[in-house]
Amino acid sequence: MNAMENWTKERGEGPNQNRKGTDIAVKNVTMQFRRAKDEATSIKELLVRTLRREHSYEEFKALDNISFTVHQGEVAGIIGTNGSGKSTMLKIISGALIPTSGTVEVDRRKVQLLTLGTGFDVELTGRENVYLNGAIIGYTREYIDEKYSDIVKFAELEGFMEEKVRNYSSGMVSRLGFAIATVRDTPEILILDEVLSVGDMFFRQKSEARIREMIHGGSTVLIVSHSTSVIRNNCTKAIWIEKGRLRAQGDPRDVCDAYEKLKEVPK
Amino acid sequence: MEERQQRKQYAFVVKQLTSREIKRKYARSYLGIVWSVLNPLLSMAVLSLIFSQLFRRSIENYPIYYLTGYILWQAFTGATNAAMTTLVDNKTLLLKVKFPMELFILTRIYTALINMGYSLAAYGVMLILFRVAPKWTMLLSPAFLVLLFLFATGVSYLLAAAYVFFGDVKHLYSVILTLWMYCSAIFYPAEQLQGFIRIIILNNPIYTYIHCLRKAVMYGQVPGGVEWAQMILWGVGMYYIGYWIFKKNKYKIMQRI
Repeated sequence: MNAMENWTKERGEGPNQNRKGTDIAVKNVTMQFRRAKDEATSIKELLVRTLRREHSYEEFKALDNISFTVHQGEVAGIIGTNGSGKSTMLKIISGALIPTSGTVEVDRRKVQLLTLGTGFDVELTGRENVYLNGAIIGYTREYIDEKYSDIVKFAELEGFMEEKVRNYSSGMVSRLGFAIATVRDTPEILILDEVLSVGDMFFRQKSEARIREMIHGGSTVLIVSHSTSVIRNNCTKAIWIEKGRLRAQGDPRDVCDAYEKLKEVPK
Repeated sequence: MEERQQRKQYAFVVKQLTSREIKRKYARSYLGIVWSVLNPLLSMAVLSLIFSQLFRRSIENYPIYYLTGYILWQAFTGATNAAMTTLVDNKTLLLKVKFPMELFILTRIYTALINMGYSLAAYGVMLILFRVAPKWTMLLSPAFLVLLFLFATGVSYLLAAAYVFFGDVKHLYSVILTLWMYCSAIFYPAEQLQGFIRIIILNNPIYTYIHCLRKAVMYGQVPGGVEWAQMILWGVGMYYIGYWIFKKNKYKIMQRI
Protein backbone atom coordinates (compact mmCIF):
# COMPACT_ATOMS: atom_id res chain seq x y z
CA MET A 1 0.00 0.00 0.00
CA ASN A 2 3.04 2.24 0.17
CA ALA A 3 2.67 3.56 -3.27
CA MET A 4 -0.65 5.09 -2.37
CA GLU A 5 0.43 6.83 0.73
CA ASN A 6 0.67 10.18 -0.84
CA TRP A 7 -2.68 10.38 -2.51
CA THR A 8 -4.11 12.77 -0.05
CA LYS A 9 -1.19 15.15 -0.09
CA GLU A 10 -0.98 15.16 -3.82
CA ARG A 11 -4.65 15.74 -4.10
CA GLY A 12 -4.49 18.73 -1.82
CA GLU A 13 -2.49 20.58 -4.42
CA GLY A 14 -4.68 19.52 -7.27
CA PRO A 15 -6.90 21.94 -9.13
CA ASN A 16 -10.06 20.14 -8.14
CA GLN A 17 -9.99 21.28 -4.60
CA ASN A 18 -11.85 24.39 -5.60
CA ARG A 19 -14.82 22.58 -6.99
CA LYS A 20 -17.29 22.30 -4.22
CA GLY A 21 -20.36 20.88 -5.80
CA THR A 22 -21.98 17.90 -4.21
CA ASP A 23 -21.64 14.70 -6.15
CA ILE A 24 -23.20 12.16 -3.89
CA ALA A 25 -25.82 13.11 -1.34
CA VAL A 26 -27.16 10.31 0.79
CA LYS A 27 -30.10 11.44 2.85
CA ASN A 28 -31.66 9.42 5.65
CA VAL A 29 -31.27 6.17 3.85
CA THR A 30 -32.77 3.16 5.52
CA MET A 31 -32.65 -0.26 4.00
CA GLN A 32 -34.94 -2.75 5.53
CA PHE A 33 -35.08 -6.35 4.60
CA ARG A 34 -38.11 -8.20 5.68
CA ARG A 35 -36.83 -11.54 6.58
CA ALA A 36 -39.36 -14.12 7.58
CA LYS A 37 -38.10 -16.05 10.54
CA ASP A 38 -36.91 -19.19 8.90
CA GLU A 39 -38.30 -18.24 5.58
CA ALA A 40 -40.50 -20.46 3.48
CA THR A 41 -38.36 -21.70 0.64
CA SER A 42 -40.88 -24.00 -0.93
CA ILE A 43 -44.39 -23.52 -2.14
CA LYS A 44 -45.67 -26.23 0.14
CA GLU A 45 -44.23 -24.52 3.16
CA LEU A 46 -45.67 -21.22 2.06
CA LEU A 47 -49.10 -22.73 1.64
CA VAL A 48 -49.01 -24.44 4.99
CA ARG A 49 -47.92 -21.28 6.71
CA THR A 50 -50.39 -19.06 4.96
CA LEU A 51 -53.18 -21.38 5.95
CA ARG A 52 -52.05 -21.39 9.56
CA ARG A 53 -51.32 -17.68 9.47
CA GLU A 54 -47.91 -18.39 10.74
CA HIS A 55 -46.04 -15.58 9.12
CA SER A 56 -43.62 -14.10 11.51
CA TYR A 57 -41.41 -11.50 10.03
CA GLU A 58 -38.27 -10.12 11.37
CA GLU A 59 -37.46 -6.63 10.31
CA PHE A 60 -33.80 -6.44 9.61
CA LYS A 61 -32.24 -3.08 9.06
CA ALA A 62 -29.17 -3.33 6.92
CA LEU A 63 -28.88 0.43 6.98
CA ASP A 64 -30.48 2.68 9.51
CA ASN A 65 -30.99 6.32 8.72
CA ILE A 66 -27.67 7.03 7.09
CA SER A 67 -26.82 10.46 5.75
CA PHE A 68 -23.63 11.78 4.29
CA THR A 69 -22.42 13.78 1.37
CA VAL A 70 -19.40 13.50 -0.82
CA HIS A 71 -18.31 16.64 -2.58
CA GLN A 72 -16.82 16.89 -5.99
CA GLY A 73 -13.16 15.96 -5.99
CA GLU A 74 -13.21 14.37 -2.59
CA VAL A 75 -11.88 10.93 -1.86
CA ALA A 76 -14.22 9.41 0.63
CA GLY A 77 -13.63 6.11 2.34
CA ILE A 78 -16.31 3.93 3.81
CA ILE A 79 -15.03 1.73 6.57
CA GLY A 80 -16.69 -0.92 8.66
CA THR A 81 -16.42 -4.57 9.58
CA ASN A 82 -17.78 -7.34 7.41
CA GLY A 83 -21.55 -7.35 7.24
CA SER A 84 -21.83 -3.81 8.50
CA GLY A 85 -23.77 -2.67 5.47
CA LYS A 86 -20.97 -1.27 3.32
CA SER A 87 -21.79 -3.18 0.22
CA THR A 88 -25.50 -2.56 0.64
CA MET A 89 -24.65 1.12 0.67
CA LEU A 90 -22.68 0.72 -2.53
CA LYS A 91 -25.48 -1.11 -4.24
CA ILE A 92 -27.84 1.68 -3.32
CA ILE A 93 -25.49 4.36 -4.57
CA SER A 94 -24.88 2.55 -7.83
CA GLY A 95 -28.60 2.04 -8.26
CA ALA A 96 -28.83 -1.73 -8.01
CA LEU A 97 -30.98 -1.51 -4.89
CA ILE A 98 -33.67 0.95 -4.02
CA PRO A 99 -33.67 2.02 -0.37
CA THR A 100 -36.72 1.43 1.80
CA SER A 101 -36.76 5.10 2.68
CA GLY A 102 -34.55 8.06 2.12
CA THR A 103 -32.95 9.29 -1.05
CA VAL A 104 -29.64 9.21 -2.80
CA GLU A 105 -28.84 12.05 -5.11
CA VAL A 106 -26.24 11.09 -7.61
CA ASP A 107 -25.95 11.22 -11.36
CA ARG A 108 -25.92 7.53 -12.12
CA ARG A 109 -24.65 8.01 -15.63
CA LYS A 110 -21.40 9.26 -14.20
CA VAL A 111 -20.91 6.45 -11.74
CA GLN A 112 -18.44 3.74 -12.48
CA LEU A 113 -18.32 0.90 -10.04
CA LEU A 114 -15.03 -0.89 -10.14
CA THR A 115 -15.18 -4.44 -9.00
CA LEU A 116 -13.22 -7.28 -10.39
CA GLY A 117 -14.13 -10.41 -12.20
CA THR A 118 -17.78 -9.67 -12.79
CA GLY A 119 -18.98 -11.60 -15.75
CA PHE A 120 -15.92 -13.58 -16.59
CA ASP A 121 -16.58 -16.91 -18.13
CA VAL A 122 -13.84 -19.52 -17.90
CA GLU A 123 -15.07 -21.38 -20.96
CA LEU A 124 -14.46 -18.39 -23.21
CA THR A 125 -11.16 -17.11 -24.52
CA GLY A 126 -9.52 -14.00 -23.20
CA ARG A 127 -10.60 -12.04 -26.24
CA GLU A 128 -14.21 -13.09 -25.93
CA ASN A 129 -14.17 -12.18 -22.29
CA VAL A 130 -12.94 -8.71 -23.05
CA TYR A 131 -15.97 -8.16 -25.25
CA LEU A 132 -18.39 -9.80 -22.85
CA ASN A 133 -17.09 -7.96 -19.83
CA GLY A 134 -16.81 -4.70 -21.70
CA ALA A 135 -20.40 -4.96 -22.89
CA ILE A 136 -21.57 -5.63 -19.37
CA ILE A 137 -19.89 -2.61 -17.90
CA GLY A 138 -21.22 -0.42 -20.64
CA TYR A 139 -18.68 -0.14 -23.44
CA THR A 140 -19.86 -0.15 -27.01
CA ARG A 141 -18.45 -2.55 -29.55
CA GLU A 142 -16.58 0.23 -31.34
CA TYR A 143 -15.03 1.39 -28.13
CA ILE A 144 -13.75 -2.07 -27.28
CA ASP A 145 -12.40 -2.54 -30.80
CA GLU A 146 -10.49 0.66 -30.39
CA LYS A 147 -9.12 -0.03 -26.94
CA TYR A 148 -8.54 -3.74 -27.31
CA SER A 149 -4.78 -3.59 -27.76
CA ASP A 150 -4.42 -1.17 -24.86
CA ILE A 151 -6.27 -3.57 -22.60
CA VAL A 152 -4.14 -6.52 -23.61
CA LYS A 153 -0.98 -4.53 -23.19
CA PHE A 154 -1.89 -3.22 -19.77
CA ALA A 155 -2.85 -6.68 -18.59
CA GLU A 156 0.43 -8.04 -20.00
CA LEU A 157 -1.40 -10.87 -21.66
CA GLU A 158 -0.04 -10.66 -25.19
CA GLY A 159 -0.14 -14.11 -26.70
CA PHE A 160 -2.66 -15.46 -24.25
CA MET A 161 -5.80 -13.84 -25.57
CA GLU A 162 -6.93 -16.73 -27.75
CA GLU A 163 -6.70 -19.15 -24.87
CA LYS A 164 -9.56 -20.05 -22.64
CA VAL A 165 -9.64 -18.22 -19.37
CA ARG A 166 -9.92 -21.63 -17.76
CA ASN A 167 -6.18 -21.96 -18.35
CA TYR A 168 -5.30 -18.58 -16.85
CA SER A 169 -3.84 -18.18 -13.42
CA SER A 170 -5.93 -16.21 -10.97
CA GLY A 171 -3.49 -13.34 -11.22
CA MET A 172 -3.94 -13.20 -14.97
CA VAL A 173 -7.69 -13.09 -14.59
CA SER A 174 -7.66 -10.21 -12.19
CA ARG A 175 -5.14 -8.33 -14.29
CA LEU A 176 -7.41 -8.63 -17.26
CA GLY A 177 -10.39 -7.54 -15.17
CA PHE A 178 -8.54 -4.53 -13.90
CA ALA A 179 -7.35 -3.58 -17.37
CA ILE A 180 -10.87 -3.73 -18.82
CA ALA A 181 -12.40 -1.77 -16.00
CA THR A 182 -9.86 1.03 -16.03
CA VAL A 183 -9.24 1.47 -19.74
CA ARG A 184 -12.01 4.00 -20.04
CA ASP A 185 -11.47 7.69 -19.66
CA THR A 186 -11.75 8.76 -16.11
CA PRO A 187 -15.32 8.59 -14.94
CA GLU A 188 -16.60 11.45 -12.88
CA ILE A 189 -17.56 9.31 -9.94
CA LEU A 190 -15.47 6.28 -9.26
CA ILE A 191 -16.42 3.67 -6.72
CA LEU A 192 -13.74 1.20 -5.74
CA ASP A 193 -14.86 -1.93 -4.01
CA GLU A 194 -11.72 -3.39 -2.49
CA VAL A 195 -9.83 -3.56 -5.73
CA LEU A 196 -6.44 -2.37 -4.68
CA SER A 197 -4.79 -5.71 -4.11
CA VAL A 198 -4.57 -7.29 -7.50
CA GLY A 199 -1.83 -9.39 -9.01
CA ASP A 200 1.81 -9.50 -8.00
CA MET A 201 3.78 -6.67 -6.48
CA PHE A 202 4.72 -5.14 -9.82
CA PHE A 203 1.27 -5.18 -11.20
CA ARG A 204 -0.05 -3.76 -7.97
CA GLN A 205 2.20 -0.76 -8.29
CA LYS A 206 1.09 -0.33 -11.85
CA SER A 207 -2.57 -0.55 -10.95
CA GLU A 208 -2.22 1.84 -8.06
CA ALA A 209 -0.56 4.29 -10.38
CA ARG A 210 -3.46 3.93 -12.78
CA ILE A 211 -5.98 4.55 -10.03
CA ARG A 212 -4.06 7.57 -8.88
CA GLU A 213 -4.09 8.84 -12.42
CA MET A 214 -7.85 8.50 -12.46
CA ILE A 215 -8.13 10.38 -9.21
CA HIS A 216 -5.94 13.10 -10.58
CA GLY A 217 -8.22 13.29 -13.53
CA GLY A 218 -10.65 14.97 -11.17
CA SER A 219 -12.92 12.14 -10.20
CA THR A 220 -14.86 11.98 -7.04
CA VAL A 221 -13.85 8.72 -5.46
CA LEU A 222 -15.56 6.46 -3.02
CA ILE A 223 -13.39 3.72 -1.60
CA VAL A 224 -14.82 0.85 0.36
CA SER A 225 -12.48 -1.05 2.58
CA HIS A 226 -12.13 -2.66 5.94
CA SER A 227 -8.51 -1.74 6.17
CA THR A 228 -7.81 1.46 8.07
CA SER A 229 -4.46 1.97 6.40
CA VAL A 230 -6.07 2.22 3.00
CA ILE A 231 -8.54 4.78 4.27
CA ARG A 232 -6.02 6.74 6.27
CA ASN A 233 -3.56 6.98 3.45
CA ASN A 234 -5.86 7.86 0.66
CA CYS A 235 -8.99 9.59 1.76
CA THR A 236 -9.87 13.12 2.53
CA LYS A 237 -12.90 11.99 4.40
CA ALA A 238 -13.95 8.84 6.18
CA ILE A 239 -17.35 7.41 6.90
CA TRP A 240 -17.71 4.65 9.42
CA ILE A 241 -20.71 2.40 9.19
CA GLU A 242 -21.20 -0.22 11.84
CA LYS A 243 -24.13 -2.63 12.00
CA GLY A 244 -26.08 -0.42 9.68
CA ARG A 245 -25.58 2.73 11.67
CA LEU A 246 -23.44 5.69 10.92
CA ARG A 247 -20.94 5.75 13.73
CA ALA A 248 -18.75 8.62 12.71
CA GLN A 249 -17.67 10.67 9.76
CA GLY A 250 -15.12 13.33 9.16
CA ASP A 251 -11.37 13.46 9.25
CA PRO A 252 -9.98 10.06 8.27
CA ARG A 253 -7.46 10.00 11.10
CA ASP A 254 -10.01 10.63 13.83
CA VAL A 255 -12.50 8.20 12.39
CA CYS A 256 -9.91 5.48 11.92
CA ASP A 257 -8.57 5.97 15.43
CA ALA A 258 -12.04 5.58 16.86
CA TYR A 259 -12.62 2.55 14.69
CA GLU A 260 -9.42 0.91 15.77
CA LYS A 261 -10.07 1.63 19.41
CA LEU A 262 -13.35 -0.21 19.21
CA LYS A 263 -11.93 -3.05 17.22
CA GLU A 264 -8.87 -3.51 19.34
CA VAL A 265 -8.56 -7.14 20.16
CA PRO A 266 -6.98 -7.96 23.49
CA LYS A 267 -3.63 -9.47 22.71
CA MET B 1 -30.96 9.97 -29.61
CA GLU B 2 -29.65 8.89 -26.27
CA GLU B 3 -32.37 6.31 -26.01
CA ARG B 4 -31.37 4.84 -29.33
CA GLN B 5 -27.83 4.56 -28.16
CA GLN B 6 -29.05 2.86 -25.01
CA ARG B 7 -30.98 0.37 -27.06
CA LYS B 8 -28.00 -0.31 -29.21
CA GLN B 9 -25.89 -0.94 -26.14
CA TYR B 10 -28.53 -3.30 -24.75
CA ALA B 11 -28.61 -5.19 -28.02
CA PHE B 12 -24.84 -5.48 -27.86
CA VAL B 13 -25.04 -6.84 -24.32
CA VAL B 14 -27.68 -9.39 -25.28
CA LYS B 15 -25.59 -10.50 -28.22
CA GLN B 16 -22.48 -10.92 -26.11
CA LEU B 17 -24.33 -12.79 -23.41
CA THR B 18 -25.98 -15.01 -25.98
CA SER B 19 -22.77 -15.88 -27.68
CA ARG B 20 -21.44 -16.78 -24.26
CA GLU B 21 -24.40 -19.06 -23.62
CA ILE B 22 -23.96 -20.88 -26.88
CA LYS B 23 -20.21 -21.24 -26.63
CA ARG B 24 -20.53 -22.43 -23.11
CA LYS B 25 -23.21 -24.97 -23.88
CA TYR B 26 -20.98 -26.70 -26.38
CA ALA B 27 -17.67 -25.90 -24.73
CA ARG B 28 -16.64 -29.48 -24.11
CA SER B 29 -18.14 -31.21 -27.11
CA TYR B 30 -16.42 -31.91 -30.39
CA LEU B 31 -19.40 -31.35 -32.60
CA GLY B 32 -20.47 -28.17 -30.85
CA ILE B 33 -23.38 -26.34 -32.40
CA VAL B 34 -23.90 -29.21 -34.84
CA TRP B 35 -25.78 -30.87 -32.00
CA SER B 36 -28.56 -28.35 -32.48
CA VAL B 37 -28.97 -29.87 -35.93
CA LEU B 38 -28.35 -33.47 -35.00
CA ASN B 39 -30.57 -33.58 -31.98
CA PRO B 40 -33.91 -33.13 -33.73
CA LEU B 41 -32.82 -35.50 -36.51
CA LEU B 42 -31.84 -38.29 -34.15
CA SER B 43 -34.97 -37.83 -32.13
CA MET B 44 -36.98 -37.96 -35.33
CA ALA B 45 -35.27 -41.17 -36.36
CA VAL B 46 -36.00 -42.83 -33.03
CA LEU B 47 -39.62 -41.84 -32.87
CA SER B 48 -40.25 -42.69 -36.50
CA LEU B 49 -38.77 -46.11 -35.95
CA ILE B 50 -41.28 -46.81 -33.25
CA PHE B 51 -44.42 -44.96 -34.18
CA SER B 52 -44.43 -44.87 -37.97
CA GLN B 53 -46.06 -48.25 -38.08
CA LEU B 54 -48.55 -47.43 -35.39
CA PHE B 55 -49.89 -44.29 -37.00
CA ARG B 56 -49.39 -45.34 -40.60
CA ARG B 57 -53.03 -44.94 -41.51
CA SER B 58 -53.78 -41.69 -39.73
CA ILE B 59 -50.63 -39.71 -40.47
CA GLU B 60 -48.93 -39.52 -43.79
CA ASN B 61 -45.29 -38.61 -43.68
CA TYR B 62 -44.94 -39.31 -40.00
CA PRO B 63 -41.29 -38.16 -39.66
CA ILE B 64 -42.17 -34.66 -40.81
CA TYR B 65 -45.30 -34.60 -38.69
CA TYR B 66 -43.24 -35.45 -35.66
CA LEU B 67 -40.31 -33.20 -36.49
CA THR B 68 -42.56 -30.16 -36.88
CA GLY B 69 -43.99 -30.65 -33.44
CA TYR B 70 -40.70 -31.57 -31.87
CA ILE B 71 -38.83 -28.50 -33.05
CA LEU B 72 -41.45 -26.11 -31.77
CA TRP B 73 -41.73 -27.97 -28.51
CA GLN B 74 -37.98 -27.93 -28.02
CA ALA B 75 -37.86 -24.23 -28.75
CA PHE B 76 -40.52 -23.57 -26.16
CA THR B 77 -39.09 -25.75 -23.41
CA GLY B 78 -35.54 -24.67 -24.20
CA ALA B 79 -36.47 -21.01 -23.88
CA THR B 80 -38.59 -21.29 -20.75
CA ASN B 81 -36.37 -23.72 -18.88
CA ALA B 82 -33.30 -21.62 -19.48
CA ALA B 83 -35.00 -18.31 -18.75
CA MET B 84 -36.47 -19.63 -15.52
CA THR B 85 -33.11 -19.93 -13.80
CA THR B 86 -31.37 -17.03 -15.46
CA LEU B 87 -31.79 -14.50 -12.67
CA VAL B 88 -30.46 -16.88 -10.07
CA ASP B 89 -27.63 -18.05 -12.32
CA ASN B 90 -26.51 -14.51 -12.94
CA LYS B 91 -27.01 -13.30 -9.41
CA THR B 92 -23.60 -11.75 -8.90
CA LEU B 93 -23.74 -9.96 -12.21
CA LEU B 94 -27.20 -8.64 -11.57
CA LEU B 95 -26.22 -6.75 -8.48
CA LYS B 96 -23.32 -5.04 -10.10
CA VAL B 97 -24.50 -3.94 -13.47
CA LYS B 98 -26.65 -1.07 -14.47
CA PHE B 99 -28.80 -2.56 -17.18
CA PRO B 100 -32.27 -3.96 -16.60
CA MET B 101 -32.82 -7.53 -15.43
CA GLU B 102 -35.05 -8.22 -18.39
CA LEU B 103 -32.00 -8.45 -20.58
CA PHE B 104 -30.96 -11.67 -18.92
CA ILE B 105 -34.30 -13.23 -19.71
CA LEU B 106 -34.22 -11.96 -23.27
CA THR B 107 -30.74 -13.39 -23.63
CA ARG B 108 -31.94 -16.87 -22.86
CA ILE B 109 -34.88 -16.48 -25.21
CA TYR B 110 -32.61 -15.27 -27.95
CA THR B 111 -30.33 -18.22 -27.35
CA ALA B 112 -33.26 -20.57 -27.80
CA LEU B 113 -34.20 -18.72 -30.96
CA ILE B 114 -30.76 -19.23 -32.43
CA ASN B 115 -30.78 -22.88 -31.48
CA MET B 116 -34.10 -23.20 -33.21
CA GLY B 117 -32.58 -21.60 -36.28
CA TYR B 118 -30.11 -24.47 -36.50
CA SER B 119 -32.85 -27.01 -35.97
CA LEU B 120 -34.84 -25.38 -38.74
CA ALA B 121 -31.92 -25.90 -41.08
CA ALA B 122 -32.20 -29.61 -40.38
CA TYR B 123 -35.93 -29.32 -40.86
CA GLY B 124 -35.45 -27.75 -44.28
CA VAL B 125 -33.22 -30.57 -45.40
CA MET B 126 -35.74 -33.14 -44.20
CA LEU B 127 -38.54 -31.40 -46.06
CA ILE B 128 -36.57 -31.81 -49.25
CA LEU B 129 -35.58 -35.40 -48.51
CA PHE B 130 -39.16 -36.39 -47.78
CA ARG B 131 -40.32 -34.60 -50.91
CA VAL B 132 -42.63 -32.15 -49.27
CA ALA B 133 -43.59 -29.86 -52.09
CA PRO B 134 -43.00 -26.14 -51.52
CA LYS B 135 -46.19 -24.20 -50.89
CA TRP B 136 -46.86 -20.52 -50.50
CA THR B 137 -48.41 -21.14 -47.09
CA MET B 138 -44.95 -21.98 -45.79
CA LEU B 139 -44.29 -18.27 -45.90
CA LEU B 140 -46.65 -17.89 -42.96
CA SER B 141 -44.38 -19.94 -40.70
CA PRO B 142 -42.31 -17.01 -39.37
CA ALA B 143 -45.52 -15.45 -38.03
CA PHE B 144 -46.30 -18.62 -36.07
CA LEU B 145 -42.80 -18.74 -34.71
CA VAL B 146 -42.83 -15.12 -33.62
CA LEU B 147 -46.11 -15.64 -31.79
CA LEU B 148 -44.80 -18.81 -30.18
CA PHE B 149 -41.79 -16.92 -28.93
CA LEU B 150 -43.92 -14.11 -27.57
CA PHE B 151 -45.84 -16.74 -25.66
CA ALA B 152 -42.62 -18.33 -24.43
CA THR B 153 -41.28 -14.95 -23.33
CA GLY B 154 -44.38 -14.27 -21.26
CA VAL B 155 -44.15 -17.65 -19.59
CA SER B 156 -40.45 -17.07 -19.01
CA TYR B 157 -41.06 -13.83 -17.17
CA LEU B 158 -43.46 -15.58 -14.85
CA LEU B 159 -41.17 -18.52 -14.23
CA ALA B 160 -38.07 -16.42 -13.72
CA ALA B 161 -39.83 -14.27 -11.15
CA ALA B 162 -41.28 -17.27 -9.35
CA TYR B 163 -38.01 -19.17 -9.34
CA VAL B 164 -36.28 -16.40 -7.43
CA PHE B 165 -38.63 -17.04 -4.54
CA PHE B 166 -39.15 -20.77 -4.79
CA GLY B 167 -36.64 -23.28 -5.98
CA ASP B 168 -39.45 -25.82 -6.23
CA VAL B 169 -40.77 -24.12 -9.31
CA LYS B 170 -38.12 -25.89 -11.32
CA HIS B 171 -39.25 -29.35 -10.29
CA LEU B 172 -42.90 -28.50 -10.54
CA TYR B 173 -42.41 -27.06 -13.99
CA SER B 174 -40.67 -30.17 -15.25
CA VAL B 175 -43.69 -32.23 -14.23
CA ILE B 176 -46.04 -29.75 -15.83
CA LEU B 177 -43.96 -29.86 -18.99
CA THR B 178 -44.31 -33.61 -19.20
CA LEU B 179 -48.05 -33.35 -18.93
CA TRP B 180 -48.05 -30.47 -21.35
CA MET B 181 -46.03 -32.41 -23.87
CA TYR B 182 -48.47 -35.30 -23.88
CA CYS B 183 -51.28 -32.82 -24.36
CA SER B 184 -49.62 -31.23 -27.37
CA ALA B 185 -50.01 -34.11 -29.81
CA ILE B 186 -46.39 -34.04 -30.79
CA PHE B 187 -46.02 -37.67 -31.78
CA TYR B 188 -49.58 -38.86 -32.16
CA PRO B 189 -52.56 -37.64 -34.15
CA ALA B 190 -54.84 -35.39 -32.11
CA GLU B 191 -57.86 -36.69 -33.96
CA GLN B 192 -57.65 -40.01 -32.22
CA LEU B 193 -58.57 -38.56 -28.87
CA GLN B 194 -62.11 -37.77 -27.88
CA GLY B 195 -64.00 -35.99 -25.17
CA PHE B 196 -62.46 -34.03 -22.36
CA ILE B 197 -58.83 -34.56 -23.26
CA ARG B 198 -59.48 -33.45 -26.81
CA ILE B 199 -60.93 -30.18 -25.60
CA ILE B 200 -57.81 -29.61 -23.58
CA ILE B 201 -55.61 -30.29 -26.56
CA LEU B 202 -57.53 -27.98 -28.80
CA ASN B 203 -57.20 -25.19 -26.27
CA ASN B 204 -53.55 -25.80 -25.68
CA PRO B 205 -51.65 -22.88 -27.16
CA ILE B 206 -48.59 -24.95 -27.99
CA TYR B 207 -50.74 -27.40 -29.89
CA THR B 208 -52.30 -24.58 -31.84
CA TYR B 209 -48.89 -23.31 -32.96
CA ILE B 210 -47.76 -26.78 -33.89
CA HIS B 211 -51.00 -27.58 -35.64
CA CYS B 212 -50.96 -24.43 -37.72
CA LEU B 213 -47.37 -24.95 -38.74
CA ARG B 214 -48.14 -28.52 -39.79
CA LYS B 215 -51.09 -27.41 -41.81
CA ALA B 216 -49.12 -24.70 -43.54
CA VAL B 217 -46.05 -26.79 -44.26
CA MET B 218 -47.52 -30.21 -44.93
CA TYR B 219 -50.96 -29.57 -46.37
CA GLY B 220 -50.79 -26.04 -47.69
CA GLN B 221 -53.64 -24.82 -45.52
CA VAL B 222 -54.07 -21.39 -43.99
CA PRO B 223 -55.13 -21.33 -40.34
CA GLY B 224 -58.76 -20.44 -39.74
CA GLY B 225 -59.96 -17.31 -38.00
CA VAL B 226 -60.33 -19.01 -34.63
CA GLU B 227 -56.84 -20.38 -34.86
CA TRP B 228 -55.38 -17.00 -35.71
CA ALA B 229 -57.25 -15.49 -32.80
CA GLN B 230 -56.00 -18.19 -30.47
CA MET B 231 -52.40 -17.79 -31.56
CA ILE B 232 -52.40 -14.04 -31.33
CA LEU B 233 -54.28 -13.86 -28.05
CA TRP B 234 -52.08 -16.43 -26.36
CA GLY B 235 -48.88 -14.94 -27.72
CA VAL B 236 -49.51 -11.26 -27.13
CA GLY B 237 -51.65 -11.81 -24.04
CA MET B 238 -49.15 -14.03 -22.31
CA TYR B 239 -46.34 -11.69 -23.14
CA TYR B 240 -48.05 -8.74 -21.53
CA ILE B 241 -49.26 -10.65 -18.50
CA GLY B 242 -45.81 -12.05 -17.89
CA TYR B 243 -44.11 -8.74 -18.39
CA TRP B 244 -46.59 -6.90 -16.21
CA ILE B 245 -46.25 -9.30 -13.30
CA PHE B 246 -42.51 -9.31 -13.64
CA LYS B 247 -42.38 -5.55 -13.64
CA LYS B 248 -44.59 -5.32 -10.59
CA ASN B 249 -42.39 -7.64 -8.61
CA LYS B 250 -39.09 -6.35 -9.88
CA TYR B 251 -38.24 -4.58 -6.69
CA LYS B 252 -39.00 -7.61 -4.56
CA ILE B 253 -36.94 -9.80 -6.84
CA MET B 254 -34.01 -7.47 -6.53
CA GLN B 255 -34.22 -7.53 -2.78
CA ARG B 256 -34.54 -11.24 -2.64
CA ILE B 257 -31.56 -11.85 -4.81
